[in-house]
Amino acid sequence: MAKRVLIVDDERNIVISLRHLMSKAGYEVLHAGDGEEALAIAESAAPDLVLLDVMIPKRDGYDVCQCMRAMPGLEGTRIVMLTAKGLEVEMEKGLAMGADAYLTKPFSTRDLVATVQSLLGDDRGRPE
Amino acid sequence: MADPSEKSGLRFRVFLQFAVIAFAVPVLLGGGLWLAAQRLGPGAGPPLVLFGGAAGFALIGVIVWVWMRLDTGMVAAIQGLARDLQTLTHSNPEHELRPDPRGHIGALGPAAAATAEALRAARKEVAEEIARATRDADAQKDRLEIILRDLHEGVLICNLDHQILLYNQRALEILHLSGELGLGRSLFSVMNRQPFLHALEQLFNRLAEEEEEEERHELTELVVCATADGRYILEGRVSLIAQPGEAAASGYVVTFEDVTLELATLGQRDRLLSQAIAGLRRPLANLRAATETLTTAELEPEERRAFETVLSSECESLSQHLEKISEEYHDIITGHWPMSDAYSANLLNCVVRRLRDEKRLEATMTGLPVWLRCDSHTVVELLDDIVHRIAAHQGAGAFDLEASAARRRCYIDVCWRGEVIPSAVLDSWIDEVLEQKLGGLTGRDVLERHKSTLWSESHREGWARVRIPLPAPLEDRSRAKRGGRSLGARPEFYDFDLLRRGRAAALGDMPLRELIFVVFDTETTGLEPSNGDEIISIAGVRIVNGRILTGESFSELIDPRRDIPKGSIRFHGITQEMVQGKPPIERVLPRFRDYVGNAVLVAHNAAFDLKFLELKQEACGVAFDNPVLDTVLLSAFLHDHTNQHTLDAVAERFGVAIQGRHTALGDSLVTAGVFIRMLDLLEAQNIRSLGQALEVSERMVEIRRQQARY
Repeated sequence: MAKRVLIVDDERNIVISLRHLMSKAGYEVLHAGDGEEALAIAESAAPDLVLLDVMIPKRDGYDVCQCMRAMPGLEGTRIVMLTAKGLEVEMEKGLAMGADAYLTKPFSTRDLVATVQSLLGDDRGRPE
Repeated sequence: MADPSEKSGLRFRVFLQFAVIAFAVPVLLGGGLWLAAQRLGPGAGPPLVLFGGAAGFALIGVIVWVWMRLDTGMVAAIQGLARDLQTLTHSNPEHELRPDPRGHIGALGPAAAATAEALRAARKEVAEEIARATRDADAQKDRLEIILRDLHEGVLICNLDHQILLYNQRALEILHLSGELGLGRSLFSVMNRQPFLHALEQLFNRLAEEEEEEERHELTELVVCATADGRYILEGRVSLIAQPGEAAASGYVVTFEDVTLELATLGQRDRLLSQAIAGLRRPLANLRAATETLTTAELEPEERRAFETVLSSECESLSQHLEKISEEYHDIITGHWPMSDAYSANLLNCVVRRLRDEKRLEATMTGLPVWLRCDSHTVVELLDDIVHRIAAHQGAGAFDLEASAARRRCYIDVCWRGEVIPSAVLDSWIDEVLEQKLGGLTGRDVLERHKSTLWSESHREGWARVRIPLPAPLEDRSRAKRGGRSLGARPEFYDFDLLRRGRAAALGDMPLRELIFVVFDTETTGLEPSNGDEIISIAGVRIVNGRILTGESFSELIDPRRDIPKGSIRFHGITQEMVQGKPPIERVLPRFRDYVGNAVLVAHNAAFDLKFLELKQEACGVAFDNPVLDTVLLSAFLHDHTNQHTLDAVAERFGVAIQGRHTALGDSLVTAGVFIRMLDLLEAQNIRSLGQALEVSERMVEIRRQQARY
């Protein structure tokens, strides 16, 4: 069974690329356009990895990240935060909220795919 | 002094008058008798001559006698009095009047004496009044000097010829002058001329107008100028010194600051902005042209690939451009907000004191203080607000406030026993207005001004914290002020028996984490307590539940009642003046004993400090029988790969920032920071109780004792 990646972003122009990249890498892709939808999908679908933008409507990425970390059943879920804010403190905040990795926009698609693969590849303890 | 001609004048005039009488009496008598002889006939001649002559001589005798009485009794007394009065007036104000009692000057003597007494009293009063006024003036001058000295701005006072009449220390610093700024030197030898002449001209015009319009204008003008060598840019104000209602000024005051850095920052920001814009145009133009061609033109596959290469390479260069700009932008903290380097202990103390005054919440400052760069006022408001909101949200009543330093920034942590605050809740808090006084500023504004954010995370077991990152200070103060890194550390002390005292059996089994420690340090006049060296400073800081209670430290200077050797001052920086009027050891040590209580004592090279304490115990009527841990020995146990166990070396290994220069309190704090980190390592080596820690110390003592033997 293919691992599931949840893309949380409200910018269609980047979602189109992310969706393409993830499915090409062999993952099943889910999409949420705002914070609340992201939490609902995460709860029902328990994705293996979440690509989470910080600036999304309704609840921001940090909030969503912290909530996901507290959700039962998502203990093994990896979270990669994406942001257009370049401050180092933001990155630190993301990691403090429980993110596994933090990428600043613009990023190279190669780096993104490599990060996702290494996070999921390292995750050998999961019964899949 | 009396005028001699005056003196002889009086006597001579009196003599002259008597001489006239003495001359007139025989002449008139002789004349009268001659006329009588003519009338009486020749027979009357001889008896007339006989009796007239006798009467004449007698009269002359009487006159001479009266003159002599007057000359000695009255004239001399008057002259004596005159001399006395002259002495009193001109030379000796304390001269006493002693009129000759035999003098015939009646009430004049006592009257003169009374006048002299009144004069003396009046003079005394005037002298006292002058002395008081001088004292007041001196006190005011001292106060003014203190104010000037502590001002952040440089101050110069000049006369209208632009000669410098007064300046403060800060002025020298800002002008980067060492030594003295000769008084009377021209202002224009240190600052450039034109801006001042222009400002003064405007001020004089305003002063003249004021006289015409009879209305007060502000007599201050802004100047931006450079130092005479052109290296620093200064911003300041020139104010005329003019009495109200006076049309002429007597001089002017210049207050100024160094704005070189602010201007450089602003310039950097401008440059960055124009670079950012210019750097966008070219790649964007290439991208746009390539994309439009790709989407509209019919292309052969080969041509298409060429355009695609353009797209990807331009995207890459745009990304790199952005990275570079944002990296530079990150380092610019804008100059318009009053950012300054602040010591976290001062900052957090403001919050602690505010909360203490409110009496509802309790806050404790913990950890080692650090320097950071911020606008302290708004940060204090933010912290205060956050603490209150956490209290309301979770019902927490006690908070720890702690600052710490990381690589490029510092953190301020608000810690409490409770749950992590959800990010959404925290966000809603910082969107609210902090304080109307701050002009409707929100917490987010304060954070953004510091290019920062905040979050909540779990901290220790059962504890949560809100973490606020802040910029690191501009200057690296820990190294700068320590200065003498090359100063030799104290030799290690080998009188280890001192450490063996008071092994309180009751505490032996207690886990280290649960004990209360007092980490202390002393500064001394030298290294030989048995040879007359004395303690001049003692400080301590308490560790409770693994937290350094920074706000409850002990720190005292002590009068050693002996000279402080000059050579030792470069180690501790304490001069004779500083200990003057400080309490002696007999008063300080009992208070330190109270501060220590039942805590376990910790010191770096503890035997050294204990030796001094021991020699003073009896005289002070106290005994330190607490268990003692030595961070030198623990370091030797934990880091046996090295023999570098000076405080500086150990602090560096444990990543503890040096606190200021060698002071008892600074070194106590560093030792405490090191000790807290040692507790983790000791636990990892399965040393958990005080008894075990004392045991390994003992082992280290044994090893060192043997090493010392060779």
